[in-house]
Amino acid sequence: MVSSDQGNIAKFMIGITSYGAYVPRYRVPLSDIAKVWGKSPEIIKNSLKIEQKSVPGQDEDAVTIAIDAASDALIGYEGSLENIDALFVGSESHPYAVNPTSTIVGQMLGIGNDYLAADLQFACKAATAGIQAACGLIADNNAVSALVIGADAAQSKPHDMLEYTSAAAGVALILGTTNVAARRAEMVSYSSDTADFWRRDGIAHPSHAGRFTGEPAYFAHVEGAANLLMKKSGITPDKCAYCVFHMPNGKFPRTVAKRLGFTKEQLLPSLTIDKIGNPYSASALLGLVSVLDTASAGDVIFMVSYGSGAGSDGFLWEVTEDINQLQQKRKKAKRLLSDYIGDGMRIDYTTYLKHTGKL
Amino acid sequence: MISPVKIWRNQSSITSYRGRHGVVESWTMIRVPLGTYAHLAPYPVVLVKFEDGTRKSLQLVDWKKEDLKIGTRIQVVIRRITESNDEGVIPYGLKAKPCDGK
Amino acid sequence: MKSFVIGAKTTKFGELWSTSPRTLAKQAVQGALKDAGLKKSGVHAIYVGNMLSGMLGGQEHLGAFFADELNIAGAATKIEGACASGGLAVHQGVVAVESGLYDTVVVLGVEKMTDHKPEAVALALMGAGSDQERLSGATFPGLYAMLARAYMETYGATEEDFAAVSVKNHFHASMNPLAQFRREITVQDVLRSAKIADPLKLLDCSPISDGASAVVITSKASPAGVRIAASVVATDTLALCDRGSLTSLQATKDASSRAYEQAGCGPSDVDVCEVHDCFSIAEVLAMEDLGFYKKGTAAKAIARQETRLGGSGVLVNSSGGLKACGHPVGATGVKQVVEVVDQLLGRAGSRQQTNAHIGLTHNVGGSGATAVVHVFERYQKGES
Repeated sequence: MVSSDQGNIAKFMIGITSYGAYVPRYRVPLSDIAKVWGKSPEIIKNSLKIEQKSVPGQDEDAVTIAIDAASDALIGYEGSLENIDALFVGSESHPYAVNPTSTIVGQMLGIGNDYLAADLQFACKAATAGIQAACGLIADNNAVSALVIGADAAQSKPHDMLEYTSAAAGVALILGTTNVAARRAEMVSYSSDTADFWRRDGIAHPSHAGRFTGEPAYFAHVEGAANLLMKKSGITPDKCAYCVFHMPNGKFPRTVAKRLGFTKEQLLPSLTIDKIGNPYSASALLGLVSVLDTASAGDVIFMVSYGSGAGSDGFLWEVTEDINQLQQKRKKAKRLLSDYIGDGMRIDYTTYLKHTGKL
Repeated sequence: MISPVKIWRNQSSITSYRGRHGVVESWTMIRVPLGTYAHLAPYPVVLVKFEDGTRKSLQLVDWKKEDLKIGTRIQVVIRRITESNDEGVIPYGLKAKPCDGK
Repeated sequence: MKSFVIGAKTTKFGELWSTSPRTLAKQAVQGALKDAGLKKSGVHAIYVGNMLSGMLGGQEHLGAFFADELNIAGAATKIEGACASGGLAVHQGVVAVESGLYDTVVVLGVEKMTDHKPEAVALALMGAGSDQERLSGATFPGLYAMLARAYMETYGATEEDFAAVSVKNHFHASMNPLAQFRREITVQDVLRSAKIADPLKLLDCSPISDGASAVVITSKASPAGVRIAASVVATDTLALCDRGSLTSLQATKDASSRAYEQAGCGPSDVDVCEVHDCFSIAEVLAMEDLGFYKKGTAAKAIARQETRLGGSGVLVNSSGGLKACGHPVGATGVKQVVEVVDQLLGRAGSRQQTNAHIGLTHNVGGSGATAVVHVFERYQKGES
């Protein structure tokens, strides 16, 4: 039994002990999509601030992407597979309506049978909700390490606005209390019933409520969580090295960062959207990975995700010395996020349709 | 539909090869596919040799033209084996991805 | 060895839309019995070589099926070994007669493939390979294509060299009224044909065919005829990836070396042979694995026309081979025997090899997991 002192220390030192990501190799330029639908490529690219988006292979899905991201996270993981006592996968493209993604991933990684598996869905913030739940399990001494994955092979209807942004990628975080490279200093969550973007069971593509996805949805919840985070922790933007926000397009995170008092320099390192689009449950987490790949000990990272429906999860991460080892291992394996993002193969719109099952 | 029992029974043979590195010993481009792979054709199939001397026949994915040669280094990845329009359990299995020594 | 072929008959091979498997079997078996001068009542067992009847047609229990259909009382069994089903059925017939339990047997090879779409047939044919091979999306041509690639890389053979196999076999088939394809082709035709599995093209590959073939084997020698001098089966790993070599089929080497031993002869004694050219590369490998040519030299030798009718070497695939005569899977191994028997008895018409005394058949299952080699000898009572 853990004494309250030990329990408090555990709570104090919970954080990211390893992390990984995966981006599929294929890229379709937004200009190709725009041309097919008779839109001006320049106007589209400027309004969304995105160049191209990642496209999954025909044989990739949220399960395979989750496995790839987790395999990547295992590169820096010092612990044993048996100590992964919880495995959560957050996605809005789980291949099954009934049958867990998380156990397929757990089986493929070989983590044994002694773990809690759960699938989460909450639009783009399914995985960050999983992080909060996992921290609770660890603090409660019911998990030594937890593996939380956000993975999506996002679908969108051709000719819909979402077609320009919906992408594919996965991020895996291993949380624990040993060799913590980024300590979870604080976490909050802000939730409401706001149906700005949704997908009914059995329907292939999501729907959205147009401009309603802006102020009452994204901004209200991101700012709501951000304010809760600043109030609870006492942190102010000037004390942060970086800020990371969910990226449904290139404009929203820039706007909300400015409103909250962050500078362009604090935001820029996390903006993965311009090169690969919006991979939904992996979006904010990809921004976090991008920052972690270059952060230094002592850096504070202010992160707020967003999931339509709606809600935002806020985190304060404090980077420690242990980040250096992780960065080195990932660099040596040529698996920094920049390696994945740079390793792209261009495809045209027709091939993109083939890959995403529309042909 | 592939038997879910068979899928379950074959899990360990898949997990033990995940992430392993190997070298292409021979290759071909399948242009007339088996029915279940029609949606992926044309696709390359490679004979891969692993460090322990064992070999496997695997589909090659995410490839560039210059990868289609004897000697290409690959890593084993896990991908969907069949198409998604099916009521059955989805079979995930081993494929080979060129890895440039990564 | 004390078994003799006394009757042999092959049906037309091809896309025989209106001919059922029952009709094909009747033509072959009745023809072979007539050739042997034998009544049905003289048959003590029937062995049926077939691969796809169950998977494609839903019909198993072929021993009983054909015994019933042909009105032959006796022990009836189906034998299956992928593309070696026919050769294995012949071997079974030999074993039956050699054992002394059966005096006279019929071996029937029969296959009906054109009732189904090529995709369904391709999938069924991959039943000859391993599960992993099927999961990798490999097709039969794909497996042999990888053998071809390895051979080209190791010995510098070219696609033109391989094309010579198909050209030769089409030339032979032009003289075989039963062959599926009787049109001669050129190397350019082969090179220009559609790619199936690089580097193999359409004209490098044997077709989908219907057909049947039957032989009668007995323990009693007649004044003159064909003696079975060797009947050997050898196996190797099921999957191509588990083999020892990618440029040779060990099962062929094992089966043939034991067959030569059994028959008391060597490759240089063989005058005529039918080898398993499911794909052009397969005939190249067979020439080397059967001992006719040194490793790495057969492709060029075939391109020099040494194994063609009138050539300097052994006559190979005078029937047209699998490529041009056709390849109804279960029938092929038996048809090969019929062709060699016809050659040895001087019945091969314009394809006749001069002084054909010793013949060899070579039948392979899958990508080389099974190999069946038979050696036949023409004999005259009074000769040793």
